[in-house]
Amino acid sequence: MRYALRKLGLLVLTLWAAVTLNFVIPRLMPGSPADAAIAKLAQNGPVTPSVQAAIEAQLGVPGGSIWDQYVTYLNNVIHLDFGVSYTFFPQQVSELVAGALPWTLIMVGAVTVVAFVLGTLIGIGAAWKRGTWMDSLPTVAGSFLSAFPYFWTALLIVFFLGYVLGWFPTSGAYSATAVPNLSWEFLGDVLYHAALPAVTILITSLGGWILGMRNTMINTLGDDYVTFAEANGLRGRTVAIRYAARNAILPNLTGFGMALGGVVGGSLLVEQVFAYPGVGYLLFNAVTNQDFPLMQALFLMITVSVLLANFLVEILYGVLDPRTRR
Amino acid sequence: MSLLEIQDLSVVYEPRGAVPTHAVKHANLTLEQGEFVGLVGESGSGKSTLGFAVTRLAKAPARISAGRIVFDGTDIAHLDAEELRVQRRGGFAMVLQSGMNALNPVRTIAHHFGDIFAAHGHVPKGRRRQRAVELLDKVQLPSTVLDRYPGELSGGMRQRVSIALALSLEPRLMVFDEPTTALDVLVQHAVMDTIRELQAAEGFTAVLISHDLGVVLESAERVVVMHDGEIVEDGASRQIFSAPAHPYTQMLLSHYADPRAEVVELPGFERKAPAAAATRGAEDGAARTGAREGRAAAHDAIVVDHVSKVYPPPRRGEKAVTAVDDVSFRLEPGAAMALVGQSGSGKSTIAKMVTGVERPTSGTVTFGDLRVDRLRRRQLKTLHADVQMVFQDPYSALNPLHTVEYTLTRPVENFTGLKGEAARERVLELLETVGLTPVEQYAAKLPHQLSGGQRQRVVVARALASDPQVLIADEPVSMLDVSLRAGVLSLLEDLRADLGVSLLYITHDLLSARVVTDQIMVLHHGKVVESGGTTQVLRFPEDAYTTQLLDAIPQPARRFSDGAAS
Repeated sequence: MRYALRKLGLLVLTLWAAVTLNFVIPRLMPGSPADAAIAKLAQNGPVTPSVQAAIEAQLGVPGGSIWDQYVTYLNNVIHLDFGVSYTFFPQQVSELVAGALPWTLIMVGAVTVVAFVLGTLIGIGAAWKRGTWMDSLPTVAGSFLSAFPYFWTALLIVFFLGYVLGWFPTSGAYSATAVPNLSWEFLGDVLYHAALPAVTILITSLGGWILGMRNTMINTLGDDYVTFAEANGLRGRTVAIRYAARNAILPNLTGFGMALGGVVGGSLLVEQVFAYPGVGYLLFNAVTNQDFPLMQALFLMITVSVLLANFLVEILYGVLDPRTRR
Repeated sequence: MSLLEIQDLSVVYEPRGAVPTHAVKHANLTLEQGEFVGLVGESGSGKSTLGFAVTRLAKAPARISAGRIVFDGTDIAHLDAEELRVQRRGGFAMVLQSGMNALNPVRTIAHHFGDIFAAHGHVPKGRRRQRAVELLDKVQLPSTVLDRYPGELSGGMRQRVSIALALSLEPRLMVFDEPTTALDVLVQHAVMDTIRELQAAEGFTAVLISHDLGVVLESAERVVVMHDGEIVEDGASRQIFSAPAHPYTQMLLSHYADPRAEVVELPGFERKAPAAAATRGAEDGAARTGAREGRAAAHDAIVVDHVSKVYPPPRRGEKAVTAVDDVSFRLEPGAAMALVGQSGSGKSTIAKMVTGVERPTSGTVTFGDLRVDRLRRRQLKTLHADVQMVFQDPYSALNPLHTVEYTLTRPVENFTGLKGEAARERVLELLETVGLTPVEQYAAKLPHQLSGGQRQRVVVARALASDPQVLIADEPVSMLDVSLRAGVLSLLEDLRADLGVSLLYITHDLLSARVVTDQIMVLHHGKVVESGGTTQVLRFPEDAYTTQLLDAIPQPARRFSDGAAS
């Protein structure tokens, strides 16, 4: 319990640091979004002070002392108020993020968890039956598939399964005609649309988990406690799961934490290829359109999600490994 | 019917893409119910392989290539996995060498017992905890151990737990593979006592595998000696002790001696007269490839004056650890001093402070004009030209990817500034000094092509690269087979006698301390409890702790001397 509280304290501290950095860094950059907009206008002719004031007001260029700005900013962050988006004016940034986040969390997040669980299970099987086809097949297939670049697999899948064969939709999170509600029909439609991006992520990330788990478990299988467990006549399944795999999974949790943290920010390419309306898609739009409020909110969210994922994994470590609890 | 009959058993190692080796060759052995048998041999003799084969724990690349293992009338050599698993209860159990690592770090001790009871179903659910407590009691552990994780127990406790776990199978044969080797001296002694008592009380057949003939002779009724995969001698302990038949057994026995004896001799080791430090003066130094250039030719003593080292508490809320407590000594040029004590006594911390790796919390360490405890990074190099370490584990002290020549060239270049052909010449000279001849051949070898003793010689050669005045040897022979120990000890002795190198010899092995050193300091909890001439202190110890250390050494002579007299 004390371990968890200590980690929680650390989380709060790092969150505060991340939020503050997010405030400081843009202010260290020369110029402001307003300057950029004014410079653009200035190419067509002189900009009157009233136009300049209007732009600054519209973009919400902050006034007052840096301390006042910081307090206002913190207050806004707490109330999830990140201002108004330039690209999707006059929508609130928070609304946009709230609209995109569930799609990413459901599609990418779920697939990441599934890939980890599935890869770990296959890895356990491969290590336990090492030297047989149950080992060589997944390891060879895994290293082959994970060697493909992410976006290349995505393009191939879109082209063949989506375009040539037409089995799956190639864009969107649900059909244009569907009305979002909690019916089975709509849920099926969502799953149908998520299938291709999900399969892409699964294919490219599964191999890594299989190889990682297999290799660490081969090591633990050589450990003395496994030999001793066998000497004591424990059942094969007990030795494999509770002794070998239980210890082998620990180093892989770190990788899992990083993958979870990368869910929000790392789905950019796949969402782009499949035109999936998630956070990655939103981020891409924000960057290409120099939508600063949106970018700032998204970067903050990416940082926060990495921190939260790490916190989750540390708590998980505490549960799974008594040695870290002290 | 005998409990176990090993008939013509051969075990072969068949690593993929390498030449197979025959680890056990046509072994024949019969064990009766309730016997206590010792299985002795050096590393590579096949003793552990035989032990693993008998308990059917040998894994690929090891394979039983021929023969039968008849346990209680059944040939277990060719049972399938499930039949074998069921056989283990009431059959054969094994206690591994590294009992520290034999327990699953993420499960409590109670879980370990529970897993075994569940696997065999021989203890009903409601009685499992109580049964575990009974078993722990047999190995003299309190029931509170049950809810602990292995990481919370000491090495000795963990080894006791694994004995209790093996015992929970109610085995008729128990194989102990070096059960105490990884433990501290005093703990070793206590655990061996427990094993002996248990064997007597429970009546199982015990096989004690060990490299240490002394331990085996003290415990076992019968001793089986293995060499190079073959059983070369098999007889009653008393007979092996008094009249060993095979030359190999004789050799093993000859390396065994009591450090308390009036005269202690090790075969292959000869004590030389202490070097007169002054004789190794300018002419000697000048003749030796200029390694000493720019350094004082005179020899200095290391003076440790009221040194203490306190480490901050390992975890919040715990006490600070005093590793070394007010230790003073003086190591004269050309002298040999032993630092003895069990692990945690502070002997290695002293070595670290003498080499400048750690700074003392209080007190001073001086070497000539150098204040070792105040050295900065660059000055440390000056110190290390004169004070060098030889480490315990020759197997991990050498980079497996580099040849001996490369390993030695680096320090030669660093410390002497020699380059190219001159450096190579110096390397070959060093190999000559440590007796690795023909030098050209050894220079080209990789560590894995060398035996443990040869590797330790390379480690010594590396330490000599800077032509040091002081060698600090931290358990230099404890990882080596007895037949190799004398060679390395002789080498240290030669360096001292011929080159005037002084030696700080850190060990828990009182026998080797007796033969290579003149002075001894006994450390306990960081304090010097006794010091003086080695022979005097070991023969007539005054402190209770010194006596305890001496008593922990197996004394087969004592066990058999009464019998011999009657």
